[in-house]
Amino acid sequence: MKITFPYMGTVVIYKKLLELLGHEAICPPRPTRKTIDLGVKHSPEFACFPYKAIMGSYLQAIELGADAIITSGGFGPCRAGYYGEVHKKTLGKLGHNIDIMILESYKRNFKYFWRIVKKLKGKNSWRKVIQVFFTVYELAHTLDALEKIVQVRRAYETEKGSFSRAWQKVNERFDKEVKTKKDIHRIYKESKEYLESIPYKEKPENEKIRLGIVGEIYVVMESSINLNIEEVLNGLGCEVERNLYLSEWIDDNIMPKMFARTSMQEKILNLSREYMEVRIGGHENETIGHIIDYKKRGFDGIIHIMPFACLPELISQSIIPKVSKDYDIPIYTISIDEQTAIANHITRIEAFIELIKGRKGTQALS
Amino acid sequence: MIESPQTSKEIVDLGVKSAVPELCVPVKIYVGHFLYLLQSGVDYVYVPRLISIRKGDTFCPKFLGLPDMLSHQFPEYADKILTHQVNSREENIGTLQNYLSIGRIITQNTQKIRQAIKSANKKWIEFRNLCLDGYNCREAENKVFRGVSPKPSSHDIKIGVIGYVYNVYDNYISMDIINKLNKMGTDAVTFEMVSLSDTEKQLSEKLRKDIFWTFSNKIFAAGYHFFEDPSIDGVIHLTAFGCGPDSFLGKVLDLDSDDFKKPFMTVRIDEHTGESHLVTRIEAFVDMIRRRKFKTSDSAEVGK
Repeated sequence: MKITFPYMGTVVIYKKLLELLGHEAICPPRPTRKTIDLGVKHSPEFACFPYKAIMGSYLQAIELGADAIITSGGFGPCRAGYYGEVHKKTLGKLGHNIDIMILESYKRNFKYFWRIVKKLKGKNSWRKVIQVFFTVYELAHTLDALEKIVQVRRAYETEKGSFSRAWQKVNERFDKEVKTKKDIHRIYKESKEYLESIPYKEKPENEKIRLGIVGEIYVVMESSINLNIEEVLNGLGCEVERNLYLSEWIDDNIMPKMFARTSMQEKILNLSREYMEVRIGGHENETIGHIIDYKKRGFDGIIHIMPFACLPELISQSIIPKVSKDYDIPIYTISIDEQTAIANHITRIEAFIELIKGRKGTQALS
Repeated sequence: MIESPQTSKEIVDLGVKSAVPELCVPVKIYVGHFLYLLQSGVDYVYVPRLISIRKGDTFCPKFLGLPDMLSHQFPEYADKILTHQVNSREENIGTLQNYLSIGRIITQNTQKIRQAIKSANKKWIEFRNLCLDGYNCREAENKVFRGVSPKPSSHDIKIGVIGYVYNVYDNYISMDIINKLNKMGTDAVTFEMVSLSDTEKQLSEKLRKDIFWTFSNKIFAAGYHFFEDPSIDGVIHLTAFGCGPDSFLGKVLDLDSDDFKKPFMTVRIDEHTGESHLVTRIEAFVDMIRRRKFKTSDSAEVGK
């Protein structure tokens, strides 16, 4: 079985999971204009943008020979939980007889869940499966820890692009060399030293600008989709942090509580309760919660990214002006779809950062 | 109690001006009605938080967050919003649990609240039964509340109209599509005329997993029910610009309509849609169906 998956964030992790279980993993190419055009062509016009981009990724992976897809499902109320079903139907009509495995909570349909787990397990023993799972879990945490170094130091790099190149290399190393937990620890140590050896020139504390990125998971995590927002912000001299890292997502959604290393979700949801009475799906409540959390942690501004016409994020977009006012934090919303171009947003982001600098200046003076 | 009037250009403009631009048209119009009522000087506006009316389903996120959205977008009106959670496992939402919190604001007498719920339930059941007998929402409403029964209509062509109640029966959004169809000599069948058991049957047959939005489920099931019902000649999907659930549901129905050999048309409407273009499209659709039906029966006669 040649299995592929949606391209989102640090894909090494999904690839390793499949490979260590003995499947052949086909990694779709990093989304480009071509991917998006392909996806848009075969998607409903008003589907949300991640659906279209992922559709394109699937079609490209099928060209590369994939005959099965693994993806996540869910029970809404956001549309993302239904992607798999509609993808399957559309791919079927296009004549691709492909097996789509949708991993979702076992609570609603245990039989289906079990069938998929069995398929993924293949001939491995259960012990091996659990071992692989924990190895990949370790990998996720390791990569995210390294990425956080990049997200901060890249803002002050002395040679432009040096950190991005290094991060690319680190990802490739993990991809090639990781077999066991031991490899992870070894490469982590070496990569950390390597990243820390790259020259950078830090600014004095009062001139540092810290931005939080919040929003819907796919557009926040996938840099090729979100205009490379982290790199752009770093390039403008700002440190960034995302509201979502894969390792934290695993901790909150898959890991049983007793094993989870980080547990942010509850705290964040509690923060959002001031504005929202119930959970309304997607990452809406997290978006609001994280904005408040970032403010409390002393961040200077928020970039809110959402796919065009995303159902839950539209509600947060309506609430955000109030949050921004109540907590006195500047927030800039970008809504992304296939028409989004970088140039106009760069100008706006630059203006946004100038505004933050100005604010800091006046605050320091008074 | 003051009810906001039928949607008008004025109300739409009110909503469009103050709502987030990417919202779907019905929610923008809702915002318009909300502001209209407040401008006419009411004390409270009733904005229910609809959560669920079927086990396991919820409403679209926009319904779930509606009171939050309004109270944070218009902080000056936040204390004028009268809200409560509607969270039920069946279609009949008239339970004490749902209405107690809001009833208490109006009266302290629980007995009175019980009575109000009871008489509302009676009306609701009457209304629902009329729908199942083939009355559409508006006709049933007229009969229950005003005692007006419509003229029985029987045309030679039956068209299934699928779309949410707040689209189909809002004359501004739908441009009165039901009446237009009637005038063209067709009967319009809508989703509320499909019985609950048929809905559930379609859902369990056609879907590996249910769609998680209540109304979408109903419309989806109604769509398949219409596809399979030989007395229905064509299906029109009426959807509003920016409707998230419909983007998926419409696609799936569109793909499958080919398998059932049923004519299927999507009409997407926003605040700028002109009426004449809609009329032309519907006319063409109805003509096409009529010709097709006429031709097949004609050739059948020749075959004899």
